[in-house]
Amino acid sequence: MRWTTKQLTTMALLTAIALAIHVAEAQIPPLIAIPGVKLGLANIITVYAAFSIGGGAAAMILIARILLGSMFGGGVMSMMYSLAGGVLCLLITLVLRKILTVKQIWVAGVMGAVAHNIGQILVAVVVTGTPSIVSYLPILLISGVITGTFTGFAAQAVVNRMGHKP
Amino acid sequence: MKKTSFWIVLIALIVAVSAGVLLWQHLAKKDAVIAEIYVEGECVRRIDLSAVKEPETFTVEGVIGKNTILVEPGRICVTEAECPDHVCIEMGWLSSEHPTPIVCLPNEVVIMLSDSTENTNRIDGVTG
Amino acid sequence: MRIKRYTRVIALALLVLMLSGCNRGMVIPTEKPGADDSVSRTVFAMDTVMELSPCGENAKAACDLGAARIQELESLFSVTRRDSEIYAVNHAQGKEVSLSPDTQTLLKDALYWCAQTDGMLDISIYPVLRTWGFTTGEYRVPDDAELASLLEHVDYRRVSLSPDGSAVTLPEGMEIDLGSVAKGYTGDMVMQAFRDSGVTSGMISLGGNVQVLGTKPDGSNWRIAVQDPSADGYVGIAEVADKAVITSGGYERFFEQDGVTYWHILDPETGKPAHSGVVSATVIGTSGTMCDALSTALFVMGAERAAAFWQTHADAGFDFVLVLEDGSLVMTEGVESSFTPVDSWASAPIEVIRR
Repeated sequence: MRWTTKQLTTMALLTAIALAIHVAEAQIPPLIAIPGVKLGLANIITVYAAFSIGGGAAAMILIARILLGSMFGGGVMSMMYSLAGGVLCLLITLVLRKILTVKQIWVAGVMGAVAHNIGQILVAVVVTGTPSIVSYLPILLISGVITGTFTGFAAQAVVNRMGHKP
Repeated sequence: MKKTSFWIVLIALIVAVSAGVLLWQHLAKKDAVIAEIYVEGECVRRIDLSAVKEPETFTVEGVIGKNTILVEPGRICVTEAECPDHVCIEMGWLSSEHPTPIVCLPNEVVIMLSDSTENTNRIDGVTG
Repeated sequence: MRIKRYTRVIALALLVLMLSGCNRGMVIPTEKPGADDSVSRTVFAMDTVMELSPCGENAKAACDLGAARIQELESLFSVTRRDSEIYAVNHAQGKEVSLSPDTQTLLKDALYWCAQTDGMLDISIYPVLRTWGFTTGEYRVPDDAELASLLEHVDYRRVSLSPDGSAVTLPEGMEIDLGSVAKGYTGDMVMQAFRDSGVTSGMISLGGNVQVLGTKPDGSNWRIAVQDPSADGYVGIAEVADKAVITSGGYERFFEQDGVTYWHILDPETGKPAHSGVVSATVIGTSGTMCDALSTALFVMGAERAAAFWQTHADAGFDFVLVLEDGSLVMTEGVESSFTPVDSWASAPIEVIRR
């Protein structure tokens, strides 16, 4: 990977922002008593990085954020969930990066959130050995679409304002 | 692929299917048959019998020994017990049609249906 | 710019509303039963399972007090525990044994109902019951000669209480068992423990003896089902408040030998299982001791004598529902409106006894 110094600096900055969002969001009391439902605001950064710098950068930022984030609180289990959800989310985002126009970036937020929740459920099924957890999927998908729309539009606004692919 | 409407339709589809499944789950939940297993008065396990797909056995450690419990779709029974009288085995299946709780007195193990199933004929207690 | 910021705030607010709104009514079953203000406690005592379910703030304390009371009473009334008062009475070999206040009260009440029912309830039937194996599970059918010799020692009238009721003397060879009334009395005492703990609503089931305190917390009557004697399920549902609902039936404990079914409710006159045409007798009243005693006695009496007994004991304040062998129901007018047969019993003939 050949990143310019400016890109590396931007990535470091974005990682710090993502981490701050991640930690701040963990402080928000859960809106509903359903495990896995959250705003996923940090995904704004992942989507922005994917569209404005590139896939590799987005992956680096994501992994760094999750590893550091679980160090700040959460522990190994929540890291597993975050990783599974985050990686799936990233893959979808990277695929959509090639397809979406600048006015459709919000779709990546939605699909990413949906993929994130699917990933979390899969890990939960494997970890707890309880396939019936899948029954949470519909509610998680709906909440993913709602939160994803929000974070997606936020990311789209940032990309369009900051300029993409320098 | 450039059409935004495609994505909107796709997302709407995800929401619609999820909402449909959610609604179905919610309706199906009304018929849920929850069996609760108590040892020494403590609920050690809750099983939604209506959600059981495959027969499954497991053991519960009672006061003097183990009870082996078998769950099948919609029903539950004790198959083996380390108690002297084996009344719990003879009590047979517990299901919504046969709601009499299974009791293993010596082992202090009780299997009963949870009263969370709401209906108009709901009862508070049984004498007999 | 400012307008956009407002729209974002509104969007966020809407989002929060949607997230909390779309899940209303969805409950994830993670909480343990009894986690709210109603507490439930299971106690194993008196050879059965007892469930205490007081409602309200003081429920926990009521459970503790009730459970302690049950253990205390069992240690007094048990026929098998060597340290019980009843065991001491049965093994005194003709000597006088002094009694604790609980045993005094229960024995006095038990003897009262033995007399009222003219011996249809007899607490001295215990040796016969044991010979049949109903107390041990080692069932056998005794022959007539054996029963006749055992019945010589069965007569509640020979249980002599001291004038102040604080001590009892049994003739040698006689043994008593308060099992037919002990659960009813225990129920009364648990209800008292609930009241003493500041609880005004609750239910207990002492091995199928149901007693309710007040109404349900929402003010409605408790719905108590009567077990179907011949099948799983129920005969009907009685709606009650502040009552004991106690059922005796041959189906509760029985064995079969040579194609004949023998159950644990014995006719004190013959020493054999009572065949009166009644398969289950449910008594509803204010006193648990009375309901427990009468459910056994009415089962032995049969429908006609039970009806006559009810008519001559109006002041006792009880009602009953009998399930007969022919599939019909007999009930007193006091429960006519509060007892509803379930669907499978809806077509059963019902005879209502009136004063």
